[in-house]
Amino acid sequence: MRRRGVLSLVLLAVVTLVVSASGAADFAFPLQANSVRLAAIGDMGTGEQPQIDVAQQMVKSRKAFPFEFVITLGDNIYTGSQPSDFEKAFAVPYKLLLDAGVQFYATLGNHDTTNERFYKPFNMNGANYYTYKKGHVRFFALDSNYMDPKQTAWIETQLREAGNGDWKICYFHHPLYSSGRYHGPAIDLRKVLEPLFVKYGVDVVFSGHDHVFERIRPQKGIYYFIEGASGSLRAGNLAPSAITAKGFDTDRSFMMIEFAGDDMYFQTTSRTGVAVDSGVIHRTIRPASGGVAHE
Amino acid sequence: MRTKRWIRCRGVSGLVALFLCVVATRLLAGQGAAPSKERADDAAAFKEFSARVQAYVKVQQTVESSLPALKPTDLPEMITAHQQALARKIREARPRAKPGDIFTPAAREAFRHASRAALEGPRSANSRAYMKPGAADSTMLLVVNGIYPDTEPITALSPALLTAFPPLPVEVAYRVVGRTLIVIDVKSRLVVDVARLILPPAS
Repeated sequence: MRRRGVLSLVLLAVVTLVVSASGAADFAFPLQANSVRLAAIGDMGTGEQPQIDVAQQMVKSRKAFPFEFVITLGDNIYTGSQPSDFEKAFAVPYKLLLDAGVQFYATLGNHDTTNERFYKPFNMNGANYYTYKKGHVRFFALDSNYMDPKQTAWIETQLREAGNGDWKICYFHHPLYSSGRYHGPAIDLRKVLEPLFVKYGVDVVFSGHDHVFERIRPQKGIYYFIEGASGSLRAGNLAPSAITAKGFDTDRSFMMIEFAGDDMYFQTTSRTGVAVDSGVIHRTIRPASGGVAHE
Repeated sequence: MRTKRWIRCRGVSGLVALFLCVVATRLLAGQGAAPSKERADDAAAFKEFSARVQAYVKVQQTVESSLPALKPTDLPEMITAHQQALARKIREARPRAKPGDIFTPAAREAFRHASRAALEGPRSANSRAYMKPGAADSTMLLVVNGIYPDTEPITALSPALLTAFPPLPVEVAYRVVGRTLIVIDVKSRLVVDVARLILPPAS
């Protein structure tokens, strides 16, 4: 009797593993020549073991999906601004990635000090907000702590001048849409940014702040992702709502993304290597409309 | 006789009515004048505030020019060293700095009006909500020429509030802790000036 019980448990464990593995294996990045490959992490800078676990999983995943750079969605360093804080919360956890030449492009969260913009590995070049281009993808990194008229005017100019040919990706700390119970959406910020995003055809927006992963159903044609659980976690904090396409709030996670032509492939992976979400977003070139997601 | 009395009576009534009209007109004109006077006072106070901020920035720039320039670096020690040296030299340059040097009484009043307009009322609920979560600890000790602590989160500032306040040069920024408004030096993290009880109380 006891042997049958043990056998059942083993069988259950095997089935669970297969389901998890198939979740991860089902999805394949195209790894096209000239595609743009990156990872996204947010709210990671604790310097604690879960952050290190995620970093190690990123290294493992990079063997199959060689991403070239990482965008950070804020709260890069929670503990302070002493040199030891930079070491503990960034340089040590991501050492293997840094040594492999992976670049990081940071944004500031509410736990970051503005002097992080002078830390070369964050590639902010002394600016609180900035833009850069990788292949056919234009990135806009914003400072959502301080969205003053000067920054708003700057983002409008940059979006307008970017034209319609490239993907337009914005990222910053505070999410415009969120089903996180603790913070929720930054509606005040949404009022300022969303009209610009719609007007100038932003395709995808990445944020953190809520310590969960959430993929939001397209809002006014724009895709929104929250990845705020790459170090910190508020387990069970997600209250899935009508805008939630997919959520994950039981463990830490990070995202991998590939822009191949007009398709954006994405996968969210837990710190144990389980694929918790994946899909493809197809972009139609337009000034103010969204694409179609295939899960 | 009766006609005379009637005429006198009508004359008095007319004068009373005229008097009331004049008083009412003056009162209404006064009501309109108060906000426009307040607006003018606030505009003047903000102008004076901006001038004082500029004077501070001039000091900051002079001090910073005596230090090796802070450029993007792989060494966080360099960032910390610059921050600490800049803070020390600014303190030396304005040893008697005190609350109110930049936030004059008139400026504090102007900031109160601007904050109230941006954050009070049901239509401002989103602005207040934006500034609430992950906000700075309102019991934090804040003194002029002290360092804004690096272990505390900062309160994200509502875009509505930043639109209502005078713009600041890049060297300084607004911070909010509870109901207190602060101007900090961004690179040295020095508290440049503090104005308490500026933001409306949480409803």
